[in-house]
Order: sequence, then C-alpha cells, then structure tokens
Amino acid sequence: MWNTFIEKFIIEEGYKLTLTGLSNTALIAVFGLLIGFLLGTVIAIVKLVPVKNIFVTVLKKICDGYVAVFRGTPIVVQLLLLHFAVFPALGLLLEDVVEASIIFGLNSAAYISEIMRGGINSVDKGQMEAGRSLGFGYTRTMIKIVIPQAFKNILPTLGNEFISLIKETSVLSLIAVTDLTKSFKAIAESTYEYFIPYIMLAICYFVIVYLISLLVKFMERRFNTDARK
Amino acid sequence: MQENKITADSTVITIKDLYKSFGRLEVLKGVNLEIKKGEKVVVIGPSGSGKSTMLRCLNLLEEPTCGEVWFHENLLTPVDPYLHSDLIERSNTFQKMLCERLAQGEEEHEALRDQIAFEIKEKSLLKKHEGKAFKKAIKELYSTYTLNINKARAKIGMVFQHFNLFNNLTVLQNLTVAPIQLKLKTKEQANEKAFALLKRIGLEDKANAYPSTLSGGQKQRIAIIRALAMEPEVMLFDEPTSALDPEMVGEVLELMKDLADEGMTMVVVTHEMGFAKEVASRIIFMNDGLIQEENDPENFFENPKNERLKEFLSKVLK
Repeated sequence: MWNTFIEKFIIEEGYKLTLTGLSNTALIAVFGLLIGFLLGTVIAIVKLVPVKNIFVTVLKKICDGYVAVFRGTPIVVQLLLLHFAVFPALGLLLEDVVEASIIFGLNSAAYISEIMRGGINSVDKGQMEAGRSLGFGYTRTMIKIVIPQAFKNILPTLGNEFISLIKETSVLSLIAVTDLTKSFKAIAESTYEYFIPYIMLAICYFVIVYLISLLVKFMERRFNTDARK
Repeated sequence: MQENKITADSTVITIKDLYKSFGRLEVLKGVNLEIKKGEKVVVIGPSGSGKSTMLRCLNLLEEPTCGEVWFHENLLTPVDPYLHSDLIERSNTFQKMLCERLAQGEEEHEALRDQIAFEIKEKSLLKKHEGKAFKKAIKELYSTYTLNINKARAKIGMVFQHFNLFNNLTVLQNLTVAPIQLKLKTKEQANEKAFALLKRIGLEDKANAYPSTLSGGQKQRIAIIRALAMEPEVMLFDEPTSALDPEMVGEVLELMKDLADEGMTMVVVTHEMGFAKEVASRIIFMNDGLIQEENDPENFFENPKNERLKEFLSKVLK
C-alpha cells in the first residue's frame, strides 16, 4: 500500500500536482476571503447607512436580494451555474483560479456582510457620535473608528468563515480546477489505492485549518486593547 | 425674561423655535436660545425634560424636526432639505405653522424667512408630482446660507456622558486623529498640542495607553482635552459627571472650571448644582420640552418663579 503511494507520489512526481493543488486551494481561499471581506463590508455599510433617498433604498434592496440569493443556494449550485452558464454567457473567460476566487468571494461576501453588520452594530453608538462631533463625516468615522472595532469583534467569526471557505473549496473538482482534493483524487484513481491518499488529504486539510485557527488566536491577542487580557 | 448681565458680545449659537419628536413623543416643543461668546450656560431640569436632546441639537447630532440652528452667521438646519419638504408635504397644519413662524422672524434673517415662506406658500399649491421641483427649490434656497455641518462641528466641541473615547486608538491618537485627519494640523503640531494638553491634566504618562486601561475620571478629562485639541469656539457638555464614581467627579469639574475661567464658551447640561452656582453666567431650567426659566445663578436659586422649578430645587437642594 505504502509502496504504491510513495512510488506515485515521489518517483512519478505526483507531489508536483499536490503542490499545485495546495497553492491553488490556498490562493482561492485567501483571495475569496479578501473579495468576500471587501464586498461584504460594502454591503454591510449600505445596509446600515442612515440616509433615506431613492438611490440608497434601491441599493439596499439589491444588497438584500444578493444576500438572500447567495445564502439561499448551495455553493455547488452557484459554482455550476456561474462557471457553466453565467460567465460564458457574459463572455468572461477567466483563468480557473481567478474565476474560482471570484465565485467563492461572491459567496462568502453574503455571509461576511451579515457578520460585519452584526460587528458594526456591536460597536457602541457613542463611537460614531464622538467621531461625528469632531467633524468627521459618516464614511470617515466608519473607516477610522467603527470598522476597526467591529473587525476586532468579529475576528473569531471571520476565522470560522475562512476555515469553512477552505474546506468548501474541495467542491472545485466539479469544475475541473486542480485543488488539493483533486490532486489527491488523481493519485488515488491512477493507483486504485484509496486509503493512503485520502487519509493524507484529510491530514492536509486538518493541518491547514489548525494553523489558521492558531493564526486567528494570535491576531485576536494582537488586536485586543482591553485592559483585562 | 432675559436678564442677561453679560454685555452682548457676538452670538455663537442661536436656536429658534426648535421642535424635536421621536415618533409620536414630542421632546422639544419650541425652544429658543442664544449663546453669546464667553457665556457659560448651564441647563438643568428633570430627566426627560429634553435638555440633552436640546444640547445634541446644537451640533445636529440630533436632527431637529423643525426649527433653526445657527452657528454664527451660518444656518446649520436643515441639513436634509428632503426631510424638511417631506414634513411639509405630510401635513398641512404644519405647513401653516411653519409659514407663520418663518414669517414672524427677526430682522437679520427676515429676508430669508420671507423668501422661504413665500416659496412654501407658492409651492404648496403644487400637486404631488411636482414635489421634486419643490424640493429642488428649497434646496437651492438653503444652499446659499448653509454651512457644511462637519465644518461647523469641528468648531463645536462636545463631551459625552459616557466619554466615548475611541477604543481602538491610544490616548495620544485619540487626541490627534481629528486634527490630523481633517488637515487642521500636521502630525508634529498635533502631537505637540496633544502633549501640552496631557501635561495640563497631568496624564502625559498615559499617552500610549488605551482608553480601557483608564479610570472614568481620566477618560472624561481626556475626552475634554480631545475636544480642546480641535480648538473649538464653544464646548457642549452632556452630563459629563453623571457616569462617574463620586470620587472622580471633582477632578472633572475642576478642569471644567479652569476652562470656564479661561473664557471658553460653554453649554453644560448637568445635575451638579454647586457647579452651576459657581460657574454659570446663566442658568436655564428646562421642563416638558420648553425653557421655563432663565436667570443668573443668584436669582435662579434665590427666587425661582416657576412652580415646577421651585419643586425641582426643593428636591435637589437639601
């Protein structure tokens, strides 16, 4: 069992595919989270902005619809729909990794916007008032004062989101992107030995997720300005 | 009613016929007030009387439902002409009221009032689908008189009951973020000013501490100098000692007294009667959304005229 795996993995240079898969998974998860965070923050702010006019109202409705749709359908369905139907119809021919990042970004934006909204709401209203009373505009107070505090509050939840994002990228094999899962699957299927490759796959994901949870803990401590640490 | 001992200097803030409702609850029912340069106005009254709301209307943290707030020669209200015109559209009685009130203005802004009143009378005859033109007209009309609210707020310092120091910034950053961001000072100038202010209150060693490590009294004193770092023309205090331990009230009041002695224009909402007696140049009693008595400290406490004030004082001064 081991011999077949080692032969395939090292001598036949299967590890190269695995490395590609690993880096693709990492890239897609990181950029997906980044896109999701930026877009999610914008959506959260649009939903919370206290201005009442027709333009903002329409924008709020659009954001509501966006969140409802992306939270209401499975990521696999979104992946298939966007990859095989929507993007080709729009004439968008993107590199696999870029496309996957965008799709996962769009998906996680829906979740992160809700997390962010909760985070912003959890910041004391007085912070916004103090900022405004010093002559800051709404946006500037948000960016300089409220969002950094909201970010600190939602960091653990955001870490969770990142972890589930990484695990979700395993469905990418459906649209033939070489991610970590796909690379081990290829090894398994070419040798008809399933046990070791898939155990290795599971270990890989576990180690990545564990490292991220350590990173999140470290960041939580970094951002904590509370006296009672 | 106005027995003002202070000789009339230039007026810093004027409010006229200020109304504010939260939903159906009417909090302010037509408040008029003028705050002159160097004056120390103390506002007292039972809870729910609208004194905090009134104070928050001065820098438009609370948007008045109706009425005017002037900062020097600049009209701050209405920030949102839509709000204004929506209200007008909603109620005909309001429309009439507004027209009447706008029409009986004083000389200085009489031209403006006449114009607005005229416009409203004219436009109110228009049908609903012409509301847009109406809004535009109002907006244009006001735009020549209004000052950007953020610019005005930079000149109006405010101190809150719950300090509201920025928790994500150090004490020094709290003091410098606004002057630097608003490009009023360079980083060096802002730091220099901040250290001078910290030295004044004896907290230089806390420059790099975060607010959560400070005591309530320290927080509030830093909140005061954060406002001072903007070099404001007037300072608003919203019950600055109400959330403090009794032990720490003294140090905050001391700093406020110092400011008063330096000639800062101040509007203070407080329950500290001792402070009011000692520092105020004018005391205002608010009840039920109205200013019910206004006097110099001596007469205010010695011979109050209003029945509710008498009752209030008898309970507070024991």
